[in-house]
Amino acid sequence: VSPHVRLRLGGESYALPISGVREVVDFGDVTPLPGAPRTVVGIRNVHGNVIPVIDLAGVLGLHVDERPAQILIVEDAERVAGLAVDGVTGVEVISDSIREIESPRLTGAVLLDGALVGVIDLQAVLAAVENERSG
Amino acid sequence: MIAIDPEIAEIFNAEANERLDRIVETLLAIEAGEGDAPAGAIDTMFRDAHSIKGSAAMVGCDQTRGIAHSMEDVLGTAREAGALAAGLVETLLSAADALRHAVTSETALEGDLPAPELAAVAAEPQAAPQRQDERRSIRMPTAKVDRLLEAVGENVVQTRRLEHVLRTSLGANGDERTSWELGRGKFLLDELQRAAIDMRTLPLGSITAAYPRAVRDLALASGKEILLEISGTETQLDRVILDGISDAISHLLRNCVAHGIESPAERERAGKPREGRIALRAEQRGSFVAIEVSDDGGGVDPSVLERGTDGGSLAEVLSKPGFSTASEVTDVAGRGVGLDAVKQHVESFGGTLVVDSEPGAGMVVTLLLPYSVALMRVLLIERGEQVFGVPLASVEEVTVVGSLLTLVGSESLEVHGEAVPLRDLATLVGAQATELGPQPRAVIVMSSRRRQAVACDRVVGEREVMLKSLGKLLSGVPGYLGAAIIDDGGIAPILDPAFLARQIAGTALPAVQEGSEEPSAPKVLVVDDQFTVRELQRSILEAAGYRVVTARDGREAWSQLADDAEVQLVVTDVQMPEMDGIELLQKIRADPRRSAIPVVVLTSLAADGEKQRGADAGADAYIVKDEFDQRALLDTVERLLVLR
Repeated sequence: VSPHVRLRLGGESYALPISGVREVVDFGDVTPLPGAPRTVVGIRNVHGNVIPVIDLAGVLGLHVDERPAQILIVEDAERVAGLAVDGVTGVEVISDSIREIESPRLTGAVLLDGALVGVIDLQAVLAAVENERSG
Repeated sequence: MIAIDPEIAEIFNAEANERLDRIVETLLAIEAGEGDAPAGAIDTMFRDAHSIKGSAAMVGCDQTRGIAHSMEDVLGTAREAGALAAGLVETLLSAADALRHAVTSETALEGDLPAPELAAVAAEPQAAPQRQDERRSIRMPTAKVDRLLEAVGENVVQTRRLEHVLRTSLGANGDERTSWELGRGKFLLDELQRAAIDMRTLPLGSITAAYPRAVRDLALASGKEILLEISGTETQLDRVILDGISDAISHLLRNCVAHGIESPAERERAGKPREGRIALRAEQRGSFVAIEVSDDGGGVDPSVLERGTDGGSLAEVLSKPGFSTASEVTDVAGRGVGLDAVKQHVESFGGTLVVDSEPGAGMVVTLLLPYSVALMRVLLIERGEQVFGVPLASVEEVTVVGSLLTLVGSESLEVHGEAVPLRDLATLVGAQATELGPQPRAVIVMSSRRRQAVACDRVVGEREVMLKSLGKLLSGVPGYLGAAIIDDGGIAPILDPAFLARQIAGTALPAVQEGSEEPSAPKVLVVDDQFTVRELQRSILEAAGYRVVTARDGREAWSQLADDAEVQLVVTDVQMPEMDGIELLQKIRADPRRSAIPVVVLTSLAADGEKQRGADAGADAYIVKDEFDQRALLDTVERLLVLR
């Protein structure tokens, strides 16, 4: 039982444990960083800090045509990043048990309002970007 | 008067502000009682005021020139008296504020805003700097200082943003008061930022205490007699840098003891004193700190020195992994041990490693480090509508790639008679960009004592920026030292000069001397210690079709004349560090091969003595700075070249 941030991406709905989310900002000006991994859109100034912005759709293997509207600033013990999303729809406490599903970037899925919502595995997403770099 | 080229205005603005920062810093130090205005400090302030005046006159900023002139007068009197009257500090601080304001408004792109009168500024209450009791100190976790610095950094960015938004929305109609308040706010915030950064610095002495003992023990163990001299321990450095270089310095000292200094018997045979000397020196050089570790031992083998001249710098040759195990250099085995690690370390902070050696006489390793990791001076350049920064420490000059030189097929650019590999920045970093325009700019970047020309669309100007890490996620992306937030809140990735050098070396074709350059265009050497003045003259002369090379002072000019037989005319300033213009003139006239080169002397109106000294030394023409205009310079140069 823990609060999750609900977000939209490529017409689908996802959830991310709120513990790893610092804030939500507008997409704003993202500066490309030549030489960076393909899943890194660029870098953005967030309160005077330089934050890498990750193409979350790309990491999840989705095809999204529209430009993302918002960035979810996430962090773990040693990394800070922004996840580009179409929009954040709110915060929700997920009480139902999360079902395990076969996806390397999701910890599982949960049935909310009759739809299956993927729960994003933040560690796996960040690791995927890092591995792309070294690979 | 000529219209100010926005690029020149930008450069002038940055340079004037930098000098003003130094003046204010010195004044505050004097007021805080840190030494009673030593003659050197007054002299430096005088020079700064003088330089601002000179540049202002040349770019046609009359108000700035006027205020700078008054300051120069006051400081000139103080300089002669050898002391600064106590009441003058306040007045000079006010004048500095007014000057800053004048510079800002006169270099504004649209419409010159009038600066408030000096008297009005003086009436503004001044925040008296806190007098500090040097003996008392407080200890606190460094994380607290870092948080403060971060918060200040955020404020700086926010303020710049606000300023940008305000100026954009007000446009040319911006009222005087808004502009003044903005300038004042920026000034105060600068002070705050400096104070916060100062909190992060520690004297070099905080890490040197253990060295004498370590050297003594090592020397005893290896049967050598060695004296370690340490100086400049009061030099301040960023705590992070200090932590990092402590190991590097002990490593260099160990190398000196183990491989540099010879045994007493050997030294006697070579006619040296039995006791060897190792010196550890530190000094501030601008916004950089140089730490030098030298010994009077055997130095490196001449064959190694030769490799240094062929295949890159000595530092590069010595720091090649595995270098010291190479069989042909067994006698210097160890001199390069671990130097690669030291070099990488220094470069990761945006610094440089320089190694000099004279066989038989010793070796000098210099670590050139930024004063603060947080604060870095960069040159901002634009390519493909994206702004990048290059650490100013590595930038030698900026030049225009002539229209006659095609980038395709020709991979090098002639700089002071040397073929320098030229690459498009977009190609080097892998950026998306449209093709370079007809006259791209080339930034000459020096890394590991190698020059490379990096082509870009436009030079934005100099900035002092807070260097931000790209974070762990992007730490593996090659090519950058980090990124910096610039005026409008945007981001400029800061390029790693060592990466550029490696990329260019990796793709280097054999250096081609391009033959497309028109051979008949006369080459003019412009000598001035001020970037603004040099660039202004360069742009005027180049626009008129001359080839232009530049030097920062007489000494540099003299060595360029020695290397480059093509120079047909010299335009020189008088007052310069190292070797002044008159001395340069005397040297030219005394050299039979160069005595016929026409020399134009740029002089201040007030300095009658300069004119006389110039005439005695054999100057061909004068241009008075205060009356400087494009036509006069071109007419004079043309006339002298025709006479020739």
